[in-house]
Amino acid sequence: MSGTAPHPDAGPRRHGDAWWVVSAVGFAVVLAFLVWPLSRVLAGSVLGESGWLAFGETYGRVASHRYYWSSLLNSLGLSAAATIGAVLVGTPLALALSRYPIPGTVLVRTAANLALLSPPFIGAYSWVVLLGRNGLVTRWLEPLGWGAPTIYGYRGILLAFVVQYFPLVFLLVSGALAAVDQSMEDAAMSLGSRPRQAFFRVVLPVILPSLTAGALLVFMATMADFGTPMVLGEGLRTLPTLMYGEFINELGGNPTMASTLGSLLILINTAALMGQRYFAFRKAYHVVCLRPLQPRRPTRGRLALAAVAVYGLIGLALVPAVTILVSSFMPTRGPVMYAGLSLQSYATVLHLVPRAIANTFMLTGLAVALDVGLGVLLAYCLARRPSRPHAVLDALIMLAYAIPGTVVGVGLIVVYNHPPIVLTGTWAILLVSYFIRHLPYPVRACTAMLQQIDVRVEEASISLGVPPFRTFWRVTVPLMFPAIVSGATLAWITTIGELSSSILLYSGPWATTSVAIFTQVFSNHFGTASALASILIGAAAAPLFLMYRLLGRQTTVAP
Amino acid sequence: MTRVRIDGIVKRFGEASALSDVSLELSPGELYTLLGPSGCGKTTLLRIVAGLLPQDAGSVAFDGVPVDNVPPYRRNIGVVFQSYAIFPHLTVRQNIAYGLRARRMESERTEAKVGEAARMVQMESLLDRMPAALSGGQQQRVVLARALVIEPRLLLMDEPLSNLDARLRVEMRAVIRRLQRTLGITTLYVTHDQEEALAISDTIAVMDRGRILQTGPPWALYRAPQNRFVAEFLGGMNVLAARLARPVAAAGVAVVEVDFSTPWSVVADGAVSESGPVWLGIRPESLRVEPPSGGADHWNQAAGTVTEVGYLGAVARYQVEIAPGVSLTVEVHDPDFQALRRVGDPVRLWCDPAKVRILAPHP
Repeated sequence: MSGTAPHPDAGPRRHGDAWWVVSAVGFAVVLAFLVWPLSRVLAGSVLGESGWLAFGETYGRVASHRYYWSSLLNSLGLSAAATIGAVLVGTPLALALSRYPIPGTVLVRTAANLALLSPPFIGAYSWVVLLGRNGLVTRWLEPLGWGAPTIYGYRGILLAFVVQYFPLVFLLVSGALAAVDQSMEDAAMSLGSRPRQAFFRVVLPVILPSLTAGALLVFMATMADFGTPMVLGEGLRTLPTLMYGEFINELGGNPTMASTLGSLLILINTAALMGQRYFAFRKAYHVVCLRPLQPRRPTRGRLALAAVAVYGLIGLALVPAVTILVSSFMPTRGPVMYAGLSLQSYATVLHLVPRAIANTFMLTGLAVALDVGLGVLLAYCLARRPSRPHAVLDALIMLAYAIPGTVVGVGLIVVYNHPPIVLTGTWAILLVSYFIRHLPYPVRACTAMLQQIDVRVEEASISLGVPPFRTFWRVTVPLMFPAIVSGATLAWITTIGELSSSILLYSGPWATTSVAIFTQVFSNHFGTASALASILIGAAAAPLFLMYRLLGRQTTVAP
Repeated sequence: MTRVRIDGIVKRFGEASALSDVSLELSPGELYTLLGPSGCGKTTLLRIVAGLLPQDAGSVAFDGVPVDNVPPYRRNIGVVFQSYAIFPHLTVRQNIAYGLRARRMESERTEAKVGEAARMVQMESLLDRMPAALSGGQQQRVVLARALVIEPRLLLMDEPLSNLDARLRVEMRAVIRRLQRTLGITTLYVTHDQEEALAISDTIAVMDRGRILQTGPPWALYRAPQNRFVAEFLGGMNVLAARLARPVAAAGVAVVEVDFSTPWSVVADGAVSESGPVWLGIRPESLRVEPPSGGADHWNQAAGTVTEVGYLGAVARYQVEIAPGVSLTVEVHDPDFQALRRVGDPVRLWCDPAKVRILAPHP
């Protein structure tokens, strides 16, 4: 009677069930669309054109030519400065809102979420509309004899970056502050700390992991940003723009150097990602929060000052989106906009590029559907079947999050422009890029949710007679619903305005809205650019409002 | 009514051994409790019986038929988890009907059975509530109804009361016991609470470090623990080191030497073959407290000093130090408040030889 082998799928933790198929698909997809293209880029930087260990003609060239190393320094300098700027603006904002009884907290949080909706390069473009050579503010200041400060170059990019990303830091730090219990501060003060000491010794260390993780997110995002330096750079080169130039330029281009610059981006952002994961998980303190930090009662003057600062900053964050919306309804000629109300730009857009808008919705919808479909299944594998291969798969999926679109785009072209599989020139290559780059959102959201769902609930269902896979559909998936919605929303928002890989991968009829905006900006058709950008922002905002309706207001678009 | 036989179960988690050769048998219709501290393997054993965890060796049989190859969803068992594991996205009605749906029962019969199960646990007025709108005790009733409505061969309960407050725990204990008796359903019950185990069980198995130390009805375990662990875990017996002067041939009075007093007399149940060091067990309620001057003609005396006093209304509990580093817990029931001892009071303890147990030789 003893020693009989147990049934292979007798329990949810047993191996040998059908879940291996999901992880096999996950591995196949990640290897084919991420690991293989990226290793081709890395190989290009090592092997050069000659084909064998050519560090001299690749990294050596970066080191010896100012043309290349200055772009590396520009990228590092800009990202570091933008990160510091976003932290210095976002953190005090979050602190002011949590510690002072400033009215309209929900409004401010909603505004911060809205500010994060518009794709970065559209933010950059909005500053051109305001402060560019023919900008609204520039032309308004001109008759007064004041020259507006130039928006182009290093400082302009920095401004665009800081305005774009401080709401992200604000939302992450606010989230961390909401988890600090008032009793911690009370305990510190009862032990003799003054308020300021209590903050630096108790509150700050607890929110520091979120702060650091947020900072690294900003660093990665600005490092990868292609559109902003393209729109505002005016000759200032960063790694992504130079890489794009080297790859796309049929005359003076150098694909080996494109690979080398791409490899530098991979290395820098992977290091930042590892730092981000480290701070977000290893260093996170588990705090039990029963009663969040209570607002203090400051003097009336201080409160007024804080309120003005908070609303001023959040207003600044909304300037790009408002500028785009307003300018889309203004009559224009070329880059010059006139006062008035007109639907001229929208008419032109619908006449000129209806296909691009349709492409964007079709490709984004398809990519998000695939991301969510595979993401939910993969998240279950990763969260409920912890193993070494699954840890590797998890890390590879997260890698997609860190790698700049320009690098993924180049890698995909290198791999899929010749037989056996040719995808270049088709819509499929855009879909692949969108799909693989945004897969981390649903996976991350769902694994986090699964860690909150009691495994016993699934076991209860199994014990009541429902086999494991049907239990997954009938119990686990409905319980994961909030995470599925927020993962899908994040994927949708980030995919719909994707520019850095689209600009490389689109061809002929498969231009997307973001590509169309980019072309309109560079051909000085600001009216149509604003109209298209407004459509994009609206399309990004729609699911966010849906999410608010479905899940309540406590949701954010901060990853 | 199902007879359950658990035979030679072995389970390891990596290097650590969770269960080593555990065997036991549940008679049809009985409530069988696995009692032990956390980490003793009791929940692991329950999960193996449920089929939720595969064993490394050994076998589980229901009515003589091994179920080792039967997946959990075909074992027809009801499981009540410590965390309730209520389905938060389903109403009370849908929660209770869940197992019946899985069995493809037609809706009319399902409705009738759900109503009946809800009545059993007094939840019939809350059938359309969502779990979030229920108290802990009500959630507990729902999962109990959900497990019972499928008419399982076996009911498994994993610390079902540990998330309830003290009053609800006593109330739910009675509900579970009444339903289990009326339905005559064989039940394996896991708890770390010895009072709960004594109150609810037909049979208790005391577990420690992956082994079963002693099984028997509650009164037998309480009266006659066989070893030091069972003695201390069940009812907090005082354990004292002593020396058996000479072997005992048959049941009767034995004399043991103790460090703190003249030799004690102990009634042994049976023969004790070897003389030498032994453990003595004395229940706190078996010890009597006298003033230091009194009780001189009693058996088994020890003089000491009160070091702690706990007044619990019906009971006064004292710690009495009878030798450096040797303390006894003493309980006085229905204490006369004028005779309450204070910390530092000298006292004389004594106890009836029939109430002292020889547990096992010193290791």
